[in-house]
Amino acid sequence: MPSIPVELPIFILHLLTALLIARLRGLFSAAMLTGIFSLLSCCLFTLMDAVDVAFTEAAVGAGISTVLILGTLALTDREERQRPARALPFVVVIVTGAALIYGTFDMPPFGAADAPIHMHPVVQTFVHGAEHDFHIPNIVTVILASYRGYDTLGETAVIFTAGVGVLLLLVEGKRAGDPPSEPDHGSDGSDVPRDEAA
Amino acid sequence: MFAAAMAGILATMLMALARASKGPTVFDRILAMNMFGTQTVLVIAVSGFMSGRPEWLDLAIVYGLVNFIGTIAVLKFAKFGNLADDGRRAGS
Amino acid sequence: MSPVDIATLVLLVSGAAFCVVGGVGVLRMPDFYTRTHAASIPDTLGAGLILVGLMLQGGGWIVTVKLVFVLALLLLTGPTASHALVKAAHASGLAWKGEDDTHHTPLQTVKVGGDDAVDPG
Repeated sequence: MPSIPVELPIFILHLLTALLIARLRGLFSAAMLTGIFSLLSCCLFTLMDAVDVAFTEAAVGAGISTVLILGTLALTDREERQRPARALPFVVVIVTGAALIYGTFDMPPFGAADAPIHMHPVVQTFVHGAEHDFHIPNIVTVILASYRGYDTLGETAVIFTAGVGVLLLLVEGKRAGDPPSEPDHGSDGSDVPRDEAA
Repeated sequence: MFAAAMAGILATMLMALARASKGPTVFDRILAMNMFGTQTVLVIAVSGFMSGRPEWLDLAIVYGLVNFIGTIAVLKFAKFGNLADDGRRAGS
Repeated sequence: MSPVDIATLVLLVSGAAFCVVGGVGVLRMPDFYTRTHAASIPDTLGAGLILVGLMLQGGGWIVTVKLVFVLALLLLTGPTASHALVKAAHASGLAWKGEDDTHHTPLQTVKVGGDDAVDPG
């Protein structure tokens, strides 16, 4: 298992990216920074030995999510409206975050052998069933494909939407020459979106 | 030996993030995102070898592909304003 | 350390050094077009040296083949993405520093640039 020092800089980069996303007012740039955020999450999942989750995060976070956010940006403003800063949402977020972090102190250490989830009788059912009913040596495969098959169905649907996102990119949609659906920009007649104004 | 490479790659990630936040134009940010994606591929490859599990390279391949698709999607949006246009104009 | 380990160490450290050089270049170059030059260094040379260094580590032939795939993918998609990026920037009229207005006619007169307004609050 990789040691702590590699995960700590990635967490710090996570924090920096999140602060930047919150502070930038240009929505296009914020959309791309969410892509960077999901890249960092993918690294972190890989380092925690959850490679299947990292696969899904790579396909969904950097692929379909960026595509969907950009598609939404085509229909709305390019810049976040300036709102007065209020204290109440900030306080609510701090309190909720503190409560969640306090809750993690009760969790067993990462990968501990005496964690409650390893002590439950259903574990013996799975192990016994994998050996006697399915005759498949890989217990993870038995659980993913049979005992928890609905979860796999959901994950497959997620990957499918990622593929749809890629196809959206490659297949021509609107007829060329149609007026683009820009709400209020484009007074000079061009249909290339301007960059965020100062 | 892997730790030195990992330190260099993480430093490059930090610099790409700085450019993504500073970059005056949107193309600077797209450039930073593309560079960040390549560094992520390297992080996954090097950390796979660090922990003795080179089979994480599958994830690096997937991520290289997805990063490319994401960059092209963003560029297409920046050029055309929507994701369905393919560049052909009426009468061309 | 065996000679293979020493060779891996040299390749990994030089690859990481080139990545850092590219990162510093992206931060300090004055203009977008010069930054694309700097950003291509970690993508090709940095990644190439690191992946070749990892290839020497072994793990079976399948690992080497996968590393070759990753390297080929990076070498194919990196220059393509850079080219598309610079072409899109040029087509939207982004001018480079020191450019004379008389011999550069952008394809569309769209104003690009200006700082993002960071929330002052």
